[in-house]
Amino acid sequence: MENIVKKWDSKVNSASDISVTARGTLSMLMQHLNEEDKRPVIKLSQGDPAAFPCFRTSHAAEEAVINALRSAKYNCYAPFVGIPPARRAVAEYLSRDLPYKLSPDDVYITSGGAQAMEIILSVLAGPGANILLPRPGFANYEARCAFSNLEVRHYDLLPEKGWEVDLDGVKALADENTIAIVIINPGNPCGNVFSYEHLKKIAKTAIELGLLVVADEVYGHLTFGCTPFVPMAVFGSSIPIITLGSISKRWSVTGWRLGWLVTCDPTGTLQKSRIVECINSSLKIISNPVTFIQGALPQILDLEKTNSDYFSISTSLLKEATEILCDKIKEIPSITCPTKPEGSVFAMVKLDFSQLEDIDDDMDFCVKLAKEESVIVLPGVIVGLKNWLRISFATDPKYLENGLERVKSFCKKHSKKHFY
Amino acid sequence: MENGAKSWAFRGTQKLSAKQSKDPKQKVTIREALDKLMGNLNEDDDRSVIPLGHGDPSAFPCFRTSPVAEDAIVDAVRSSKFNCYSPAAGIPPARRAIAEYLSRDLPYKLSPDDVSVTLGCTQAIEIIITALARPGANILVPRPGYPLYEARAAFSNLEVRHFDLIPEKGWEVDLDSVEALTDDNTVAMVIISPGNPCGNTAETARKLGIIVIADEVYSHLVFGNKQFVPMGEFGSIVPVLTVGSISKRWIVPGWRLGWIATNDPCGLLKQTGILDSIKKYLNISSDPATFIQGAIPKILENTTEEFFSNIINTMKEDADICYSKIKEIPGIACPQKPEGAMSAMVKLNLSLLEGINDDMDFCAKLAKEESVIVLPGIAVGMKNWIRITFAIEPVFLAEGLDRIKSFYERHAKKL
Repeated sequence: MENIVKKWDSKVNSASDISVTARGTLSMLMQHLNEEDKRPVIKLSQGDPAAFPCFRTSHAAEEAVINALRSAKYNCYAPFVGIPPARRAVAEYLSRDLPYKLSPDDVYITSGGAQAMEIILSVLAGPGANILLPRPGFANYEARCAFSNLEVRHYDLLPEKGWEVDLDGVKALADENTIAIVIINPGNPCGNVFSYEHLKKIAKTAIELGLLVVADEVYGHLTFGCTPFVPMAVFGSSIPIITLGSISKRWSVTGWRLGWLVTCDPTGTLQKSRIVECINSSLKIISNPVTFIQGALPQILDLEKTNSDYFSISTSLLKEATEILCDKIKEIPSITCPTKPEGSVFAMVKLDFSQLEDIDDDMDFCVKLAKEESVIVLPGVIVGLKNWLRISFATDPKYLENGLERVKSFCKKHSKKHFY
Repeated sequence: MENGAKSWAFRGTQKLSAKQSKDPKQKVTIREALDKLMGNLNEDDDRSVIPLGHGDPSAFPCFRTSPVAEDAIVDAVRSSKFNCYSPAAGIPPARRAIAEYLSRDLPYKLSPDDVSVTLGCTQAIEIIITALARPGANILVPRPGYPLYEARAAFSNLEVRHFDLIPEKGWEVDLDSVEALTDDNTVAMVIISPGNPCGNTAETARKLGIIVIADEVYSHLVFGNKQFVPMGEFGSIVPVLTVGSISKRWIVPGWRLGWIATNDPCGLLKQTGILDSIKKYLNISSDPATFIQGAIPKILENTTEEFFSNIINTMKEDADICYSKIKEIPGIACPQKPEGAMSAMVKLNLSLLEGINDDMDFCAKLAKEESVIVLPGIAVGMKNWIRITFAIEPVFLAEGLDRIKSFYERHAKKL
């Protein structure tokens, strides 16, 4: 069967140049764990509140899914755009925060925010085109763009300005082939929440540069600081916007894989540019989300049905976690947290190598941390900021505290001697 | 645009734009073809629509899924242990359960590592086609076949070549045409089961140096004389990538739970880097719902034989009705009684019909005049054939075929 092997020798495969993702790096770090360490592994890495009982999803959501399943009405294939009640429910849910009403026809149901992102990137990809992504950002964007042969250019989020977008930088980066800008709000990985004024400036810049705004709002409403969540679509009467969202984070059901891609197209630009047509074509050749979960969506999104405590409990848990995070980081000389997170589930913290020895960089830090303390955090280089760390605080508060205590020990062990 | 702003720079990609496909045979998905036919229905016809177009009997009570499967899902949801993200290849209990399930029919044991859980068989196909695509390569797919292969290949710039299934020989693979089509750039062939996977196909593939993609989404749905034989049985002759799901056997296409299994005792798929490509693409793709994965062990291990035999018996009854009623209709012919899966390919004799141009026309008029939906064969690569999906409530099937008979009589050429 050598002839089979020979065929594969030289040719490069389109999937083979996919750049590394958080998921891949975290698996790699897990392999460095010390089997002799009897302590439980503490993962402050994946933004997955659903892994912790304290974030268990609402009873209403669970019952909605079970009822939809038992009805036996949703074991069938769904239309590729999503079932009408689900589309309607998402349109109503999102319209609550907008000065106008979205139509169900603007809504496409997807298998999680991940698939919504996959669709819009494959739709936008074209020869020579480039897209603006935030740095630091969410590595899956880069991976998907690499796969779709869509050139990526990074604009900066400014740590000294609470991670606001460097709009001058955006203007300098864009050229006639720049087609879109991705805005993640609430922010992943920085935990920032953009103010209305800042979003307005972003919208204005997008108009000036002729860019489509892709608003990644999977952490929508997951805010616990002073800045309220404002959806980009509030500017939807003047510019075309694609909104990506899901129930994964707000309802702590990351494993249910239910999201949406919503088009906001007041001037008909998305129609004329064939974006809408391509979204439809894309949906026809991919796999769709589970039909009975779509069937449960109207109940899940009906906020009156959800126990009113559910959301306030989860956001206060997250708020408490950010307090713990900031307090603990303050106790560690070699790490700083420039901005306290106001939303999402992640914070970016900076490493000070002048206070550490035997550690080369953030990747080395994380590998050694895994090996010596059985704690997993993501090195910032994966999200575009070398020598920072991305820490998830969507965990049980005690768990977070224990993990950070171990990080503190680790830093102490590796500190340059004269600081202690 | 106002304010002296730049004009919008974005455009929908050519790859997905309908404008690009000037080929009249261009892949319309099955659902698109059916949607179009549904648009043709006569609103004034009070009779219920008889859907003989696609493999989804889940709406019919006689095809309701097993209570074991439903209960397994409810348990998984209530446990709240499966609301979180799943690893890219699937959660270990699901991979293990699928490996054991598939190994029951194989002469060797699959390891859980040989299994990746996917969002239905649709995603399994998407992943494999993407992983195999490379500049200049081609794959062989059967005709009649399943148009998703063509659609995904087109999207990945992978050339598709069609080999024939021989109607007179029970839709056997025309191995001569396979050989004639293969060249140095051919990387794989697709076999859709149940059909006739057999040692000959495996030997031919081995000789030609191509791997086999075994689409076994209809596995075990056999009700004739032949037993279901998985292509993986020949995994030591030629590497096989098997795709499958619970959609058809459990009648739950809406649950979106499928798999890719590598049947490759000789390790060639690993050696060639194909497994690596699959893994990488899985890593950036959306996953099946974690709680459905969590329910898989119970679904695969505890579903009763009674459930399966009830389904098979209903389908056998359907296949019998379909075959015998078609015999009564001169204008259409079914070369072989269906022995598995859910559909029959039926040939149109247009010379006996008046005012019907081709299969598309036949189906469009049938929808309008009789409220019966069947799939035009062009959608699966066989012009002037139709595909009748018989897996529905037997009473409705009989009525549907009676209406097709009326349709024929109305359009029969007056001799």
